[in-house]
Amino acid sequence: MLLLIALAAVLSRGVFIKPTNLLNLVFQNAILGVISFGQLLVILSAGIDLSVGSMLGLSTVLLMIFQFLGLPVALLLTVTIPAVFGAVNGYFVAQRRLPAFVVTLAMMLFVYSLAQVISGGAGIYSGLNGAPLSPVLVSFNRRGLLGVPLPAVVWLLVLAGMALFLRLRLGHFVFAVGGNERAAVFSGVPVTMVRFLAYLGASVLASVGGILAVARVGEGHPAAGQTYLLDSIAAVTIGGASLSGGEGTMIGTLLGVLILGTLNNILNLLNVSPMMQPAVKGVVILLAVYLNGRREQR
Amino acid sequence: MSTDRGERQVLPRLNDYGAALVLLCLVAYGVFRVPNFLSEMNLSAILYQYSIIGLLALGQLLVVLTAGIDLSQGALLALTSITTALVMVRHGPVMGVLAGLAVPAGVGVVSGLLVSRLRMPPFLVTLGTMGIARGMAMRIANARPVPIHNEAFISFGSGTLIHVPVSTFLWVGASIGLAFFLTRRPFGRHVYAVGSSEESSRLSGVSVASVKLAVYVLSAFLCAVGGVIWTSRLGSGSPVGGQNYELESIAAVVVGGASLFGGKGRVDGVVAGVLIFGVINSVLNLSRISPFWQGMIKGAVVLLAVALTQVRSGAAIRAPEGMARA
Repeated sequence: MLLLIALAAVLSRGVFIKPTNLLNLVFQNAILGVISFGQLLVILSAGIDLSVGSMLGLSTVLLMIFQFLGLPVALLLTVTIPAVFGAVNGYFVAQRRLPAFVVTLAMMLFVYSLAQVISGGAGIYSGLNGAPLSPVLVSFNRRGLLGVPLPAVVWLLVLAGMALFLRLRLGHFVFAVGGNERAAVFSGVPVTMVRFLAYLGASVLASVGGILAVARVGEGHPAAGQTYLLDSIAAVTIGGASLSGGEGTMIGTLLGVLILGTLNNILNLLNVSPMMQPAVKGVVILLAVYLNGRREQR
Repeated sequence: MSTDRGERQVLPRLNDYGAALVLLCLVAYGVFRVPNFLSEMNLSAILYQYSIIGLLALGQLLVVLTAGIDLSQGALLALTSITTALVMVRHGPVMGVLAGLAVPAGVGVVSGLLVSRLRMPPFLVTLGTMGIARGMAMRIANARPVPIHNEAFISFGSGTLIHVPVSTFLWVGASIGLAFFLTRRPFGRHVYAVGSSEESSRLSGVSVASVKLAVYVLSAFLCAVGGVIWTSRLGSGSPVGGQNYELESIAAVVVGGASLFGGKGRVDGVVAGVLIFGVINSVLNLSRISPFWQGMIKGAVVLLAVALTQVRSGAAIRAPEGMARA
């Protein structure tokens, strides 16, 4: 992992690690970043969430149609409604102990269709009653806080929040549940609740990502989150998390997102056909997993 | 808990036959409440479409039984399609089919080796091979479909024998063959063993690596067979098709009662699972439900079906009574 970064730094002759470039990377990949942290949460608990892409799509649609209620209310609804579905995920996986893969797969289908039903199948550019997108959101990407673009600020806030959370007792519980469920149970960890919260968190973060997405393109579309699903899993994995849970770091995922973002960028610059991109990503994922595995064995 | 005794009687049965039960309910709904459901056209359409997924699901079952997963199935379908079409254009149908079967099998070998020898997680391995296979298919086809002009080949996939599509015979044959292998041959038992407990299998002398390699190759091979049929039906090689087929095959396997943790699952469950999806699709389409709503209904049905068929004696993880709660 460090190798990759060093490589990137060298190849770009120092341009890569320049603060402005890094900041720009963070800005560009804020959406992926936020979603990936949600995915990290779930993967740490030895699960997976295939529905994050659809949740993002749903939240973009919701945000747009609720514009007429004013920004604060719209934001609230945009985050809470997907959270309900996240709770359903959590219920079935944590309480009923159904396989996360299938539960979130079904949810993905469900939410995607729901978004399509609400939006009439296409993108939405204004809310019910023709309410336009709130000016706050329109200029969101151009504004900054102390020179840092707002989306980056949001992502960094999420980063800080999660880093803090993982240091708390509840955060440690997540690692425990993912690492060794039996041991966690015997240690008195509320396994069900922890798992449940992980899926809830993932959907909330996905909707935050959706808000950022709307700010970026000014459109609500059910398919907005399609590419983010695969990328979020890739980012988390490249960042060193283990799919069997219990292992992974915030920084790792952060770097994973940046690397993936850079990769995406490079692929586009090199005019690699969008058809071939999954192939390249596939190879990168394999490479990353292999390298991570080797590191663990030492 | 007082109900534990009773539960233990009912649960395993539900696990094994839950899929058949759900299927029965769906079929009943279809027969009584949906016009044209029982028509020959509809039934053969279901079989027609879902024989291919059926083949994929059989391969997926094999992989899932070893606690693995194969996400590359859809991409392999496309790869088969392109390979078959391209080779057929120059070397005739026989070579085309052979190439179409061999190339994906080769990818299966790669997946299998990565999982068995390098011990990499199947989810990520097959995610990677999915991307690679898809990329390969795109590359050699220049992202364009490759039309086929061989009449014999094309009619093969759409042909019917006594009103039943040829592909269905293949599927049924494969299902019976697989069921036989899984239950009456040592290899089959080894597959279950590896899925249940790798360590025990290893200690008992089972070559875990070989078994794992084999299931990925077999899954890829079954995809290839399905791919050949699919190509013949399309009348051309398509590099973009097959998207998300693997998700359906996984869902069918799980709905059919298999456990993603390995060691559990049966062919009859998988067959029921595939048919469940077929019937759902058919009912939704015949009832003229908007495609937008279809996804929601499908998602909900899958969730319910899984909840029914994945009942697990939860005693395993719960802390025994008498332990102090935090």
